[in-house]
Amino acid sequence: MKRLRWLRLLQITACALAISLNASAADLPKVRLFTTGGTIQSRALSRDKMMEYNDGPKVTPDELIADLPELKTIADLSTLEISNVGSGNIDSEKLLALAKGINEWLAKPEAAGAVVTHGTATLEETAYFLNLVVKSDKPVVVVGAMHPFSAISRDGPFNLYNGVRVAASKDARGKGVMVLLNDEIDAARDVTKNNTYRVDTFVSRDLGPIGFADSDRIVFYRNSLKRHTDKSEFDVSTLTALPKVDIVYGYQEADRAPIDALVAAGAKGIVLDDSAMSFAAAVKDNQAKGAVFVQSDRKGSGRVVLSEKSAERGVVTADNLNAQKSRVLLRLALTKTSDPKEIQRMFNEY
Amino acid sequence: MNSSSAQAPFKVSRKSFGALLAGLLLGTASALAPTAIAQEIPKSGAPEIVKDSSKLPHIVLMSMGGTIASRASDRLNITNYGGKGVPRVDPGDWVHDLPELANIARVTTEDFRAPPDRTAGSETFGDLELVAKRLNELAQDPSVDGVVVTHGTNIMPEVAYYMDLVVKTHKPVVFVGSQRPWTGLSGDGPLNLYNAVRVAASKDAWDKGVLQCMNQYINTARDVMKTSAYRMQTFKGVDVGAIGFADPDRVVFYREPTRRHTFNSEFAGFDYQSVPGVEVAYAYQEAPGYLIDAMVEHGVKGVVIDGTGAGSATTSQTEAIKRAQTKGVIFVMTSRTRSGRVQFTPRRREANIVSGDNLQPEKARLLLALALTKTTNFDDIQRVFDEY
Repeated sequence: MKRLRWLRLLQITACALAISLNASAADLPKVRLFTTGGTIQSRALSRDKMMEYNDGPKVTPDELIADLPELKTIADLSTLEISNVGSGNIDSEKLLALAKGINEWLAKPEAAGAVVTHGTATLEETAYFLNLVVKSDKPVVVVGAMHPFSAISRDGPFNLYNGVRVAASKDARGKGVMVLLNDEIDAARDVTKNNTYRVDTFVSRDLGPIGFADSDRIVFYRNSLKRHTDKSEFDVSTLTALPKVDIVYGYQEADRAPIDALVAAGAKGIVLDDSAMSFAAAVKDNQAKGAVFVQSDRKGSGRVVLSEKSAERGVVTADNLNAQKSRVLLRLALTKTSDPKEIQRMFNEY
Repeated sequence: MNSSSAQAPFKVSRKSFGALLAGLLLGTASALAPTAIAQEIPKSGAPEIVKDSSKLPHIVLMSMGGTIASRASDRLNITNYGGKGVPRVDPGDWVHDLPELANIARVTTEDFRAPPDRTAGSETFGDLELVAKRLNELAQDPSVDGVVVTHGTNIMPEVAYYMDLVVKTHKPVVFVGSQRPWTGLSGDGPLNLYNAVRVAASKDAWDKGVLQCMNQYINTARDVMKTSAYRMQTFKGVDVGAIGFADPDRVVFYREPTRRHTFNSEFAGFDYQSVPGVEVAYAYQEAPGYLIDAMVEHGVKGVVIDGTGAGSATTSQTEAIKRAQTKGVIFVMTSRTRSGRVQFTPRRREANIVSGDNLQPEKARLLLALALTKTTNFDDIQRVFDEY
């Protein structure tokens, strides 16, 4: 009898505890969800449709949150919609709005972190851009999905849930901008989309992930030694546009015409993804017109090494950044300088 | 080349190299090995050696042997090298064969190989401890800037990890080996050795724990694993990748490990005469518990279960675990998937089984042995596995 009473008391206490947990949203870490769109916010009319899923209405930020009441137990979440478009439509204007929005949010003392939803195709570019311009050591996590919101076994909800967990985690501070899909936490600088449709698409080919969002805990194994976020020299607070930089692919018998055309169209910088015989003369001619050239490599792994020959030609080597990330860094570099030597320093440090 | 070190209670190589050279001159070498030179060092193209080496970092090149210290009679022999009557590569031979080392470091050598008559693969805890003790001394020696240790590749990751836990150093300690013998065609040994010295001589390699460098990849001792029996690209950080590269232009680092190691390890800086016995039990369909009973009867203080999938044992093993726990044996669970973590779940907590994180069982074994030198408290051992 006495035992039963004890049990009853325990029950009441447990209930009270549960209610107080629910009521204590104010004590939970404050995370803001910045939405830009992408597969994670896309619907198809049938649940087995895993491609060309733009026939249903887009998923709004409120729907994302309503779909995941579990988020209420791990963070005090607010939302800010930047756009609701596929990642192919993310442009400088949206990038700058996103970066400024995140900086404004993280500058608030009560803000714990930020999560960004993004289409996966150019997700790595936005993530690296943020890695270079976010002025805070608080966690910023970019998430996406490979299967639409409407699909069987959709990966989006768990990615979003884990993204919020990482953004709310103290251990995630100072790691730079992170990309989270499929339980893996990758550094924005090193991650790339590696596969067109499968869920394990994001990999850091050279260096691997820095941690994992496992069920028992968020766990980190690596710190990045490259400059990022609060240690970055780049500042977008007064920028309203970014310099035009494009990419030219190298292959057997590649023509120099795209290089000449891009510079004529106003490109201030060009990333050469691999080389071709015709490029050397085009580089020389267009450097005379003020264009800056960066040499990356299409193999997708390994470094373009520093060489005296490249330095003499005034061509900046991209280290192990891929072409699309080299473009992001070169654009920001060109907001500061057009001196290839100084830009090479930046490519060595970021 | 200053080939001997002041502390030399250990056999220093110059002498043995000299002995070999004398042997060659006397014409007895052909009986020993017709191909006693490194194959993959071209005869021409030796760089000019700088005259003033005084400003170069002092790197101790320590031999624990391995394929990199082995010869074969024929350069196509890359599997059946060494053995009785085939001379080994002495540390001084490496320095002699690679004069370009003099451009990157002042290299001195130390010899910690097992005696030649000992069977291969019989390295003992005593051998490890001797090296650990010496590495701890070198860490304190202001005249030394870094250490390169050669080792056979089969168990190099766990030996390197042991040093990562017990050597109190900020200086680089770089493990290196080769997949092909020193005399093999397209042998990887010479470049691996050259690059390992470059890494050990790099200021950027400080404070990163014990490293492993082969095939240009710089991996951490904790995370690296041998993944292929014979291919050159065998060492990989399976879960978390390399932290840097020894590239032609420079040695470059992108990451640092966040787990505790070397200067920050609570196990570092001590002499371990012995550590508690810990064994590994593999899990598979119908794996029997009596193997665990036998380990316990043999007196082990801890057992690592290399579980299936997320970390599971068979029913028979689980019963044996419970029997052993009543005798105070500590259990750690790893996963035979070799990638991903064994998570600390409520069920595992209830069963009093420590989760081995993403460590390979042979490394979990060494960490558990060291942890057991300090405590048998479950929570404290779980903390150790979470932090290292």
